[in-house]
Amino acid sequence: MGSRWTWRLLALPGVAWLAIFFLVSFYAVLSVAFGNQDTLSQPVPFWNPLDWNVGYVLEVLRNFWHGGQYLTVSLRTLEFVAIAMGLSLLIGYPVAYFAARHSGRWKGLVLLLLVVPFWINYLMRMLAWINLLSPDGWGTRVLHGLGIERLFLALGLLSARGGWLDGQSSTVIIAFVYGYIPFLILPLFVALDRIDQRQIEAARDLGASSFSAFRRVTLPLSVPGILAGCVLVALPMFGDYYTPDLVSASTKTNLIGNQIDQFTRQGSEKVTGAVLTMLLAAVLLLLMFYYLRTTRRAGETAET
Amino acid sequence: MEHPKDRGGLTRRQLLRGAAGSALGLSAAGFLAGCENTTEPIGASAGGPVGPASRLVVAKPVGPGGLPLPRPDDAVTWAITADNRPIPEGRPTERGPLRVYNYADYVDPVTVKKFQKEFGATVQIATYNSADEAIAKLAAGAVAFDVIIGLSGANIVNLIAQKLLQPLNHAYLPNLAKNVWPQLADPFYDRGSRYTVPYVVWMDGIGWRNDKVKEDIASMDVPWDIFWHSQAYRGKVGVLDDKRDALSMPIQREAMRTGARPDLNTEDQALIARAGSELSQLNGICNVKVTITDYQTLPEGKTVLHHAWSGDLLSGAFYYMPKGVKPDVLSFWGPVSNGVVQNDFFCIGRAAKSPVLAHRFLNFLLDEGNAYANMVNFVGYTPPQNAIDAELLIKRGLIPKTLTSAVVRPDQFAANQELLQLSVAGERHWDDAWSKFKAG
Repeated sequence: MGSRWTWRLLALPGVAWLAIFFLVSFYAVLSVAFGNQDTLSQPVPFWNPLDWNVGYVLEVLRNFWHGGQYLTVSLRTLEFVAIAMGLSLLIGYPVAYFAARHSGRWKGLVLLLLVVPFWINYLMRMLAWINLLSPDGWGTRVLHGLGIERLFLALGLLSARGGWLDGQSSTVIIAFVYGYIPFLILPLFVALDRIDQRQIEAARDLGASSFSAFRRVTLPLSVPGILAGCVLVALPMFGDYYTPDLVSASTKTNLIGNQIDQFTRQGSEKVTGAVLTMLLAAVLLLLMFYYLRTTRRAGETAET
Repeated sequence: MEHPKDRGGLTRRQLLRGAAGSALGLSAAGFLAGCENTTEPIGASAGGPVGPASRLVVAKPVGPGGLPLPRPDDAVTWAITADNRPIPEGRPTERGPLRVYNYADYVDPVTVKKFQKEFGATVQIATYNSADEAIAKLAAGAVAFDVIIGLSGANIVNLIAQKLLQPLNHAYLPNLAKNVWPQLADPFYDRGSRYTVPYVVWMDGIGWRNDKVKEDIASMDVPWDIFWHSQAYRGKVGVLDDKRDALSMPIQREAMRTGARPDLNTEDQALIARAGSELSQLNGICNVKVTITDYQTLPEGKTVLHHAWSGDLLSGAFYYMPKGVKPDVLSFWGPVSNGVVQNDFFCIGRAAKSPVLAHRFLNFLLDEGNAYANMVNFVGYTPPQNAIDAELLIKRGLIPKTLTSAVVRPDQFAANQELLQLSVAGERHWDDAWSKFKAG
């Protein structure tokens, strides 16, 4: 009996943390979104749900419905995140696969190299890219030398030679991939590393080719890792505003995060900012539910 | 709002203190039935007469609590109330510490040290990132600041409405009348300088690299047109990341063409929306960037044409030229009239613990030599001092001739307009147009 209470007590700090920094603060966002503002343009939160004012929420929803700017940036955000997530997976999966299954005694070193980017602040890494990608920067020269610049120009993904920082969508997406890919590789590595070697051997013994063993054993067993990695990169990308600001600053690459930033930090429309924050959170919550359901199902099938 | 130090975007100099406001959370479906449905701010009231007579005049926008919004043609004298009087003359100077509230990197540390030595007092500087933040913290009253630097006429109504300032005693401020441009020693937003004294001035104009841009922008009929003819500089063109400054630009352009006098503090929704869609044309023309890093990107050549604050070109010439690039590649043009000028001010906190020392600090920075040192050694923006003009800076080899117009003249300051506080409804029109433009 005593030990049961000890365990419950141990959960207390975590619960308190969530309650204070998540539930209460999110309720504050709701109260602002369903509140009003005063004549100083300062938000007046309505704490009691019975008093809630839906004027600002309706206005934003109406904007979406009529294809206004919020819809434009939301669709663009979805597009950028989807492409960046796909690219991250395409690049990250082979890396994680190699690290988990083929790096042998170098596994520790490879894992270390994967974690190293975490040691440097995200923004510092982005700022470094600004110098690398400037017209006479080293990054630009390398991309030119490798023919990647020509490829991008041919595909219409770059508007001019050396113009990586001229407000290109492709630069923002590449920056996303570069910035967030470690978050995808690590859970994938863990998932792949945990796969029982004997299951793959069994597949091979039963006549599966190495590709078919990968497709029918390794890949399905790594799905939880893929999903966890995708969630981990997608969530911060959805709220990101500083990456497009730093590497592009063009209005054509502004995302929903930039709109929220504009309303809350720069503008006087904090209520609208709160409404957008709330709607974004609602969409992300739906994605989270999907993720949780899929992983639970994957867990169930693994058990049967 | 409208302050170059309100670096809303991300700059390298003030390394990015804030991280993402990434959202998580709960949805709020369900309870909408029976809720209010309004975007009318609480406490909003129209100005002017009430009842049937109100139909006879166009309502003036009013500020918080129904206070008047100061305009150049509608100056405001703020009352001195019985519960908040200036300090009497002849008081001994306190030893501090003097608590100063300021933007980051917005006063020269060497000049501050000189002040400390002269008055045997310590100075503690706390910083804020935006005027909104400053006012919110002042109103919360957690720290009793003696001197507040960097707020402007756009904030004065808020400051007065929330009773955050103490009136000044000019007996301690002889340098105000002696050194400062007369118009700013007695500004329209605070007649008689009862609560504020000016710090620096700047104007909106065009900054460009004269070695990369072929056009002679300054001699064009309407220099603003250059942005709509900037196809050749695609990807290297920027407008200021500030709704009021940026949206004012097409309004000025239109007025300059027709010879009309624009109202840059307009609350006319259609006019503001039109300015927004004209600005949006720049997306197709030059894939315009929206930044406030021109003080760095112009010297580095990462942008070649930028809607700019005059002070940014001066800072660029003072501190940001890469090795081997001379500052005379930078040019600036600013309108003689009907454009945007701004100034910010010093003020003294109502709960100041060292009010005499605070007055001494203001007077010290209004001194010609100290104001000059503060500008050229650190801040880069020009103080509205009678003795400091472009000629002096050129003679001393501090700026090239191409930046003559980046030093605002008093007559130019008088003939241009300040961007001032609007009513909440008016502000929303600007926010909406800006949000549409920024969505690309």
